[in-house]
Amino acid sequence: MCGIVGYVGTRQATPILIDALKRLEYRGYDSAGVAILTDNGISVCKTEGKIADLETKLPDMKGTCGIGHTRWATQGAPTTINAHPHVSGNIAVVHNGIIENYQELYDWLKAEGYEFVSETDTEVLAHLAHKFYKGDLVKAVIEGLKKVKGSYAAAYLCNDSRTVVAARKESPLVAGVGKGENFIASDVTALLKNTRDVVYMQDFEVVQLTGEDMHFFDFDGNPVQKKTETIEWNIEAAEKSGYPHFMLKEIHEQVTSVHDTLLGRISELSGDVILDEVTLSIDEIKNLEKIVIIACGTSYNAGLLGKYLFESLAGIHTDVEISSEFRYATPIISGSTLVIAISQSGETADTIAATREAKIYGCHTLAVTNVVGTTLSREVENIVYTRAGPEIGVAATKTFTSQLIALYLLSIFFARKRKKMDVDRSKRLLVSMKQLPGLIQQILNNKEIIKKHAIRFSNARDYFFLGRSLNYPIALEGALKLKEISYIHAEGYAAGELKHGPLALISKDTPVVALATKSSTYDKMVNNIKEVKARSAQVIAIACMDDTEIEKYVDVVIKVPVADELLYPVLSSVVLQLLAYNSADALGCAIDKPRNLAKSVTVE
Amino acid sequence: MKALILAAGEGLRCRPLTLTRSKVMLPVANRPILEYIIRSLEQNDLREIILVVGYKKERIMDYFGNGKDFGINISYIEQEAQLGTAHAIKLAEPMVNEKFLVLNGDNLIDAQTIRDLIKGASGDVTLLTVTREHTTGYGVILLDKGRVSKIVEKPRDKISRLVNTGIYMFSSSIFDEIDKTPISETGEYAITDTIQRIIDKGANVTNITTKGTWFDAVHSWDLLKANSIMLGKFEAMKTTGSIEKGAVIIGDVDIGDNSVIRSGSYIVGPVIIGKNCNIGPNTTILPSTSVGDNCTINSFTEIENSIIMNDVRIGAGSYIQNSIIGSNNIIGPHFISEMGKDLKIEMKGILHTADDLGTVIGDNNIIGPSVLVKAGKMIATGCSVDPGVRVTKDIPPNSTVL
Repeated sequence: MCGIVGYVGTRQATPILIDALKRLEYRGYDSAGVAILTDNGISVCKTEGKIADLETKLPDMKGTCGIGHTRWATQGAPTTINAHPHVSGNIAVVHNGIIENYQELYDWLKAEGYEFVSETDTEVLAHLAHKFYKGDLVKAVIEGLKKVKGSYAAAYLCNDSRTVVAARKESPLVAGVGKGENFIASDVTALLKNTRDVVYMQDFEVVQLTGEDMHFFDFDGNPVQKKTETIEWNIEAAEKSGYPHFMLKEIHEQVTSVHDTLLGRISELSGDVILDEVTLSIDEIKNLEKIVIIACGTSYNAGLLGKYLFESLAGIHTDVEISSEFRYATPIISGSTLVIAISQSGETADTIAATREAKIYGCHTLAVTNVVGTTLSREVENIVYTRAGPEIGVAATKTFTSQLIALYLLSIFFARKRKKMDVDRSKRLLVSMKQLPGLIQQILNNKEIIKKHAIRFSNARDYFFLGRSLNYPIALEGALKLKEISYIHAEGYAAGELKHGPLALISKDTPVVALATKSSTYDKMVNNIKEVKARSAQVIAIACMDDTEIEKYVDVVIKVPVADELLYPVLSSVVLQLLAYNSADALGCAIDKPRNLAKSVTVE
Repeated sequence: MKALILAAGEGLRCRPLTLTRSKVMLPVANRPILEYIIRSLEQNDLREIILVVGYKKERIMDYFGNGKDFGINISYIEQEAQLGTAHAIKLAEPMVNEKFLVLNGDNLIDAQTIRDLIKGASGDVTLLTVTREHTTGYGVILLDKGRVSKIVEKPRDKISRLVNTGIYMFSSSIFDEIDKTPISETGEYAITDTIQRIIDKGANVTNITTKGTWFDAVHSWDLLKANSIMLGKFEAMKTTGSIEKGAVIIGDVDIGDNSVIRSGSYIVGPVIIGKNCNIGPNTTILPSTSVGDNCTINSFTEIENSIIMNDVRIGAGSYIQNSIIGSNNIIGPHFISEMGKDLKIEMKGILHTADDLGTVIGDNNIIGPSVLVKAGKMIATGCSVDPGVRVTKDIPPNSTVL
């Protein structure tokens, strides 16, 4: 997604902006630019390509006030002309978001005599600000944005004063408070090198930064009091520490991240889950008729496992909806429905919009998210943080397993409150959950085996992933992981669906990953393995350590340590992550920044 | 000034604990040995640290990351083949351009140790030495007119009491000398050979003797001694976990976040207990014991002078003394480690002596109820031991004992 940054202070702005933009690289981008207020007015430099390309093009721009941008093309091709900042007269602007009434504004501004040079929707923001500018940039920005429909986090720079003005609606924006200098950015990671004190902006708020202070306004121009928060985690945690890729580092971090998700949340003596952050009363929990999980991408796959858990453990009917579909469907939900929004970043535009939609129906809302203080967390009544720590690799790994753990905890929590689960069962499950960090370490200890097989099959054109019941979401996630980073075509299927079509695609030597850990459907899974084996596929089975039978039917067995049956999805996920990583590595792919993808999808 | 820490070795004599991690990551008072070195450097304002890693490097990288949590910057260099200390040092040449420190990652030291070397160093090569009554198994140095005249590896006779700690200060000219060092009989490039060459050329090689901590845990059971030393240095007790009414805590006991000490338990310090542990009810933990994170120790179990690593469950009514239990073990009720004195322990055909030892157990084992382990016998990793078994010999990795 696009990233925006801004700086006003006493130091040279260009290097600070460039460095901050680099911290936003993980969001994905295809062009970049900066605008600096110099002694001779606003000076702009922008280019298609990487920030490194921008650096080589940079002229000597002296100035202590400026804005910068990384663009991920939505409207208009990724070209230098379409790159931000966009300029109209004495005003430059950078923007993250989508302007929905672009055409209408374009026509109007064109009639007013404005010339458009780019194909982007952002250019209207520049002209709007220019149109309403009468010496007060804040007023001009507000007047302009009042005409805009859509989403934006935008920052403005003006020839006449050493200030940066920024505003937001439905796109992330955070202000950083320094000493004698101030910042804005799309994401705190861009600020942490310079300051840990930040102010999260909300929709329809405007900030005016000067070197000395910052003022916040609502869209009526009235001052707003904001609270400064201190960020605890550090940017350096976002470096690779010896690993070739963030993804591999984050796969290894699952030993600690799973532990952190569980920390203080289970009592194995009483068999209870402690989730003080869930504020639903016992009666509300008992009266829940339905859970609707809304999520996108990897979080959606986690949600599918959640459905299995909420239904089988807590006896609550559960639907899982893709956020962008849920919004435009006709949801049948009510006050006795709990809507669970799952989003790693807490800024996923579709999920936030779907959550707002659900609130209109009077549902209870709960977010499972990894980042504190985000838009999503302000929208919901209850938040369960996954505590996985910052994740830089675009492919979700540790945040996925932490989401799974959070869903296990929630389902046991509901099951116990609704008296659907006896203490003995929950104790056994919790004790086994407590073992997970050690079991994940065991898988990591044996990762060379997975690497060997990943390399062996890395030239495959297609890959199939099969699973049944609670392994089915993991088959989907395994396929997603593989295709997003290695570009190998991969499909996840419910193993029982094989005969209804996909079997036709399986030919000699197609690798098929079969999730065959111990469960009530194990025998059925073995039958499915025989089916694909009869078509000469290469079957890679993921099975339990104590399974001595499976070897007879498959070509490769990757074993996971013995755990409670319900928990194998977590262990299998780690195996599939390593499979995807090593396949992509063998093919020489850009693992941390797959083409066309962005870490947090803040446009709809 | 930069510091180079050699952390690529396996630590074969610390098997089975080093099957799953390298020796530098073995925990002493719930911190890897390497952390003591890094903290000692940091306390001397040495914040640019280069780690030469190899065997099980991910465990090191996962724990230390880029060093920011420890107030330092860490760069990693991988030594892919274990070709000796000189080879490992040479790998750092592109990153070093002035005087620098070299340390072994598997020796326990404190801030004083480093301070003495920095204060006293002179010339291009300075060795840090300690005085020891017994020098068996160590390299020693001989002095001539205050200068180092010879380094002798593991001498049979008592020719010197000055033990070479393997901690050095070098100038960058050492790299040229390393290039000229021939490979030794054991197939390695040893930095001691390089230093001997420099001495033989007549250059000035000095030594500083420190009274700071220097402890080399040669065998796995030496960790118990190290653990006891480090726990003994504990000062303020810090309890962030919770202690139920009726539990008794005596002496210096450190209890981590979200850990619970249940009623009727009796803990006598120095003892450290990690995060997220569940101790008791009615569990006794006696001095010089470390319990890692995420452990459960059930009722009526007694543990003394032992190291319990992370993610371990110990069943009710067990007795563990002078023992080391690796990570992620599930131990059934009524487990007993027999204790023995002056044990002869055979490793790869060579006999070693352990003073007081119960057992040493690697990672990831499942041990059934009522298992007894004879003194000095070890269980490797990934084993499954059936109920009621008497373990009378060492159990190799991934065994099932019926």
